[in-house]
Amino acid sequence: MNHPCSIEKPFRTYPISSLNIPCWFVGLLFVSGFLKAEPHVVGYERFDDGAVLYSELGCANCHGGSAVEVPRKGPNLAALSLRVRKEWVADFLKDPENGRKGSTMPHMFDGIPEAERETAITDVMAWLGTRPTKLKIRAQRHTNAEAGSAMYHEKGCGACHAATPDFISPHGKLEKFENAISHPDFRKKTDVKGLAYFLGNISTFRPDGRMPHIQLLPEEASDIAAHLWDDQASVPDTKFDVRTWTKADFDAIKRGGEWVNKLNCASCHDGLSEQKAALIKPISSGAGGGCLSDEPAEGRPFYDLSEKQRKSLVAFLKSEKQTSDDDGKLTLAAMNCYACHERDGIGGPVVETNSFFIGDEGLGDSGRLAPPLTGVGHKLKLEWIESVFSGTEGSRVRDYVKTQMPKYPAQAKKMAAWLSKIDSNPDATPIAKVEDLEAGQKLLGIHGGVNCITCHRWEERASLGIQAMDISNLDQRLQPSWFREYLLNPASYRPGTLMPPLWPGGKSMVPDVAGGDAETQIGAIWNFIKNGEGVPEGFPDRASGAFELIPKDRPIIQRTFLNKVGTKAILVGFPGEVNIAIDGASGQPALVWKGKFFDGYDTFFTRAAPFGDPLEEEVFEFEKSTAPMRFRGYELDEKGNPTFLRSEDGLEVSERFSGEDGKLVRTIRWAEGGAEPAKPIHPVGVEFETKATDRAITFTYFSK
Amino acid sequence: MKFEFRTFSRFQKLIFSGAVGLAFCINLGAQDSYNFHEILTASSPSTSRSKEWKPGDGVALEVSGMAWMGDGKLAVATRKGDIWIIDGVLSDKPDDVKFSLFASGLHEPLGLTKEGDDLLTTQRSEVTRLRDKDGDGVADGYLTEADGWNVSGAYHAYAYGPELDEAGEYWVTLNLDMGPHTNNHNGWRGWGGTIGKDGKFQPQSFGMRSPSGMGANAAGDLFFSDQQGTWIPATPIYHLRKGVFYGNQESAKGQEIEGSPMKIEMPKANVPYPQALRSSKEFVPPAVWLPYNKVGRSGTDVQLIDADGKFGPFDGQLLIGEFTNAGVNRVFLEKVGGEYQGACFPFLSGFPAAVLRLEFSDDGPLFVGMTNRGWSSLGNRSYGLVRVDYDPKVPPFAIQEMRAKSDGFELKFTQPVDRETVLAAGAFELENYTYQYSQKYGGDEIQKQILKIELPVVSNDGLTVRLKVDGLREFYVHELRTKGIKSASGGKSLDSPTAYYTLNQIPPK
Repeated sequence: MNHPCSIEKPFRTYPISSLNIPCWFVGLLFVSGFLKAEPHVVGYERFDDGAVLYSELGCANCHGGSAVEVPRKGPNLAALSLRVRKEWVADFLKDPENGRKGSTMPHMFDGIPEAERETAITDVMAWLGTRPTKLKIRAQRHTNAEAGSAMYHEKGCGACHAATPDFISPHGKLEKFENAISHPDFRKKTDVKGLAYFLGNISTFRPDGRMPHIQLLPEEASDIAAHLWDDQASVPDTKFDVRTWTKADFDAIKRGGEWVNKLNCASCHDGLSEQKAALIKPISSGAGGGCLSDEPAEGRPFYDLSEKQRKSLVAFLKSEKQTSDDDGKLTLAAMNCYACHERDGIGGPVVETNSFFIGDEGLGDSGRLAPPLTGVGHKLKLEWIESVFSGTEGSRVRDYVKTQMPKYPAQAKKMAAWLSKIDSNPDATPIAKVEDLEAGQKLLGIHGGVNCITCHRWEERASLGIQAMDISNLDQRLQPSWFREYLLNPASYRPGTLMPPLWPGGKSMVPDVAGGDAETQIGAIWNFIKNGEGVPEGFPDRASGAFELIPKDRPIIQRTFLNKVGTKAILVGFPGEVNIAIDGASGQPALVWKGKFFDGYDTFFTRAAPFGDPLEEEVFEFEKSTAPMRFRGYELDEKGNPTFLRSEDGLEVSERFSGEDGKLVRTIRWAEGGAEPAKPIHPVGVEFETKATDRAITFTYFSK
Repeated sequence: MKFEFRTFSRFQKLIFSGAVGLAFCINLGAQDSYNFHEILTASSPSTSRSKEWKPGDGVALEVSGMAWMGDGKLAVATRKGDIWIIDGVLSDKPDDVKFSLFASGLHEPLGLTKEGDDLLTTQRSEVTRLRDKDGDGVADGYLTEADGWNVSGAYHAYAYGPELDEAGEYWVTLNLDMGPHTNNHNGWRGWGGTIGKDGKFQPQSFGMRSPSGMGANAAGDLFFSDQQGTWIPATPIYHLRKGVFYGNQESAKGQEIEGSPMKIEMPKANVPYPQALRSSKEFVPPAVWLPYNKVGRSGTDVQLIDADGKFGPFDGQLLIGEFTNAGVNRVFLEKVGGEYQGACFPFLSGFPAAVLRLEFSDDGPLFVGMTNRGWSSLGNRSYGLVRVDYDPKVPPFAIQEMRAKSDGFELKFTQPVDRETVLAAGAFELENYTYQYSQKYGGDEIQKQILKIELPVVSNDGLTVRLKVDGLREFYVHELRTKGIKSASGGKSLDSPTAYYTLNQIPPK
């Protein structure tokens, strides 16, 4: 089982105690620490690793020397003036903390003498406003913030960012997520369409994958944007538009360009089309020179580091280069893959994020959590891992897990190669080679097999029970030797999985197939998945009509979930092809139709039975009644015709139905006393005859 | 509308090869002393080339409820929505078994109780009274006995019962919703309640997840099982009563609905169970935990053994159906500090399908109703009904009772023990552990500790063994593992070498 609380440990530690820092200096920092607004790096906070911090503060952009696959960049600033408000950018440049709490953008202007600082920022803004803007950002015609909220919390945004304040978790109260990446004040920063454009095109602006690309439809991006912007109106209004930044004078623009060069902005930001500076060797000897200094200086980024962060960076710079075996691990931490995935006992959801992961609870935790990555390079084929990172269409096999794996195309090739290499297990026992296709087909099925299709889907066919993943194409993804190991002991890969050990102790429970030998049986299953045609034995043949309910001599009564009626529908099919549906909440008729009655298969035998429908297209709905009524059951006469009982505000009312030669006869009766029942409702579009007697009224439908 | 089938009963003693039996369960339990007779098992056409899945030939006996009709006739509710009356189930002649259809068209009834001449069953949306007014053996009244809970259309919204308690009130338990249409906020998903005089469901206690079985003990107190899942680390057996919380917080919203009898401070989450239990006075522990996989994976029905010895030496104890492992487990309960607690023992295994319902006949045999549908089990058939007969010629050698003492445990055996094997080094090992209380699905055993055991003391008659131990912990499961213990006569090994005592309270001296 995945215990987030027990796996919170750093995977590499440094001997920080070896640093010789005077205690007065530490004391001074402690005091000044209260004023600090240090950059927040999730992977560093979680694993306390200077190498992660070095990578994620973008140090390598100027200094090189990070093993993380694809350096951390700032956002691409193309079309900034169309997407982001000028005032917000100005505030942000003045102090990144103003723009977003915990921003990793260094203070670039703090080293400039105060008298010039304001002008320098204005000039840079003037220059930024001149950047080419070819983008056409269009707003969606409608947005739905509520749907956006559901998507934001389901798709996995919450694994890195916290829940938005209005969110109610289906699992109860959420604990405050301290290590969440904060949001800016979206209303100050941008408008709904600008935010939607960003969310729909994340990889354009963040090609380094730190805010990873999630495949969203334009309307989905808009809905999430509306949610984050807290825009409850259904039509995003142009009045909130980010206005094009006002033009500045030529001198200011020119000076701004010079600042951009001087501050080396293009080292981190694309979209500036300025030349990057050559790499600078980092100073690794001292406890705080250069970028690590506690004081800003002109022409140098100032990070406002905490003392702990500074120590970690110094330790990292002093450390020996790690073996390349660790490079991939470092990338997993830097990219925050561990927010969702566990590998080798590290990472996976934490207590505060666990409840964001939702899916099919019928499958247990495997139905809602991202798969573990332990041994994944042995489990999956190299090309498949690469396609998962790249987000290739069809690479998503757990559609019941609501969290969406983002795309990481920039990292795909190298990370796939690393996983395959480091996890490779050449000594694994190979799967038995079996030619017999019939054995595999039988074993996968439920007629004397090991019942795989009870839980697993096969192509487009739903399984017979819980809906676990499609197993018809496992050969395209899995390494056969891993498949063998997994079938023999599923819990060794995923403790707590609902997948039972079907060959406990390596022994088969199906003695009469493939000689009752476990290895041969597993080989046969693999062979059928790979080379077989057709489907495993035991899927229902829905086309056979075997479960169509056909009233012959007597009416058939069946309760079910029915569209247009609800979860308490009671269907009655009469001989002579006339049928009704009663709403079992009120005891009133709801539908009437002629012809075929109903197919019982889903109601009888489907685990998650859908709401059914009559077998005919032409169905007449009864008028709606709001009179308070309470259903009390039904009684059958000797011919099986039902009389439905209900109480109308204390008055006992009954309705008897019978089918006679294609006509529907309905008699309402009520108890003695002064009270009259509610006005009868009738099917819209059906003619009828009426016959009233004392405390009874009879309607005959389809009489002509 | 009366159907009779003669051809579907296939009395056939199930034969378990050693390999298959061992594979089913870690502990075979008391298998030798009990014989299985198939009344009806889903046909498994192993030679068929049919691509058409059907519920087998004949009656689709996916057993969801059982009740005796008198004269040896057993009424059986099925998940498909029928109620069959089966005659001849106690006979050893296959041809004596006859099926007749009593009621049909119900919406997945999951319980059956006889009251007077009527049957009561709980469908998805209501408790229904089935009445045969004209006495022709077929129900002609389907009367609403009680309703009043939300039915969203989610498949997991099963409703169970009704079951009578000692005070004469009927109880119904309601599953939490799951899957499409889920709505656990509109009342009363995850609640148990009684049927009010007005025919309305009266919510009484909450925190249930999948309370699929209820049953009374000899004193008339009701117990129910729940199943491993969110908030629930393993199968618990709870004392069913009013005004308490059973742990699953997904039903907590019900407290805000009008008519809720409870408004409690929710216990602390993400802490070990004992700590969570101490943080809320309404939060009650299970009387017994059935540790995951060691005993069962998903508990179902609760049935009291009350057979005057005709079902072996376990009268007064409870049997618990087991879905995934297709078995039956045994529970011994005692009252300590006014509350029930006790031990569980693996008992029977190797049924052909998942066990959902248990019902004793007056004559002693146990009827085991099965249905796999929706999940899988170690059985390889879909459904069926098995009769289990006790063979008095092969009395079981088992730990009959495990009682808590202020300084350890007292074990009572069904037969005198061989002293030497009990006093041998390593004959007993005792470990205790608990679980994390969190919304996670299932949970590991945590804070495991091996306890020091003094030399056991065997009573003069050889039936009782006293264990003094160091390190008892309240609310922890105490797992007792025995090794090499034999009976004094015949040198028989224990049917189940393990027992699991849930020590909610350490008894005073």
